[in-house]
Amino acid sequence: MTFAQAMAIAILQGFSELFPISSLGHTVLIPALLRWNVDRSSSDFLAFVVALHLGTAAALLLFYQREWRGVVPAFVGSVVRGRLSGSSQEKLAWLLVIGTIPVGLLGFLLEHEVRGLFGSPLPVAVFLFANGLVMFAGEALKQRQHAAAAQAVGGQTVATGREYRTLNDLSFFDAVKVGLAESLALLPGISRSGSSIVAGLLIGLSESEAARYSFMLATPVILAAGLLEIPRLLAPGAHGIMLESVIGGILSAVTAYLSVAFLTRYFRTNDLRPFGWYCVVAGAVSFALFSSGIR
Amino acid sequence: MKALSILLALAFFALAGLYWTGALQFVVHHPGGPHHKHAVLFAGLGILSLIWFRFQTSTPSQAR
Repeated sequence: MTFAQAMAIAILQGFSELFPISSLGHTVLIPALLRWNVDRSSSDFLAFVVALHLGTAAALLLFYQREWRGVVPAFVGSVVRGRLSGSSQEKLAWLLVIGTIPVGLLGFLLEHEVRGLFGSPLPVAVFLFANGLVMFAGEALKQRQHAAAAQAVGGQTVATGREYRTLNDLSFFDAVKVGLAESLALLPGISRSGSSIVAGLLIGLSESEAARYSFMLATPVILAAGLLEIPRLLAPGAHGIMLESVIGGILSAVTAYLSVAFLTRYFRTNDLRPFGWYCVVAGAVSFALFSSGIR
Repeated sequence: MKALSILLALAFFALAGLYWTGALQFVVHHPGGPHHKHAVLFAGLGILSLIWFRFQTSTPSQAR
């Protein structure tokens, strides 16, 4: 992997980690399409990926720093008291903890096996295509739910005035559902944010609220993935890629910050369908190229 | 439920210890040293079980 390729992967990782288009899928497909000589199992590359994850997590923490400053003390306070006070920050803290459990359990226990089975370009292209279909299905089901709710209230398809639930309205079981959906991102090509935003839509959140929950839910997972692998970054074998790791981590942080800033604005008035189209087309084209042997 | 939370905590901490020392290496299919990430995961679940126990044993606040 050359320096330029490393920087391109860092930028790609920063953008695609938060866009609902699967960062892992893109970091498998694009080097394969461009015939880059990237050994994804080498200690150098794994150390480099650790730096990218730390950069992404830092960007998310920075962007949501106000929320985290409220959520962390609220969580600690509830543990010390031994009961919930009913504050919205405390509720969000526990929604994040409970939503993280399925992701952590399935991720840590199955990650290596699943990625070993499906980490080659062809299955990744299929999963990327499926990721697009999941987003279309999520938007369609959300619209059907809202039409049914409006008709049930007024007998006609009219707005009820309170169309969406907020995070404070969610139950802890809802958090488990979103966490389980996020676990699908173990499959390379399925997006972590895409699957959790779709799950958020299906439990009644708006796109913007589902995206906020998805990004905050991703933060501890990405941070833990980075922190627990820091020994790889400090291992003697990784010194050869230290410069790439440091600059790549910074680039990943900058692009991730720009992505989350863009997406939080985007989801106030737009939905997942453009990303769905992108995934369907990119998945189909990649599948055609890899299965025909052109790439 | 209190007993269950304590039992779960003990089980998770035991699993964490076994993963940390490498005693559960035969469970995973790939070579390498002890699985410290798995150990941290189970230690985290052990802590959550203790928090669950804490929630069950706290005194309810007085109604005002």
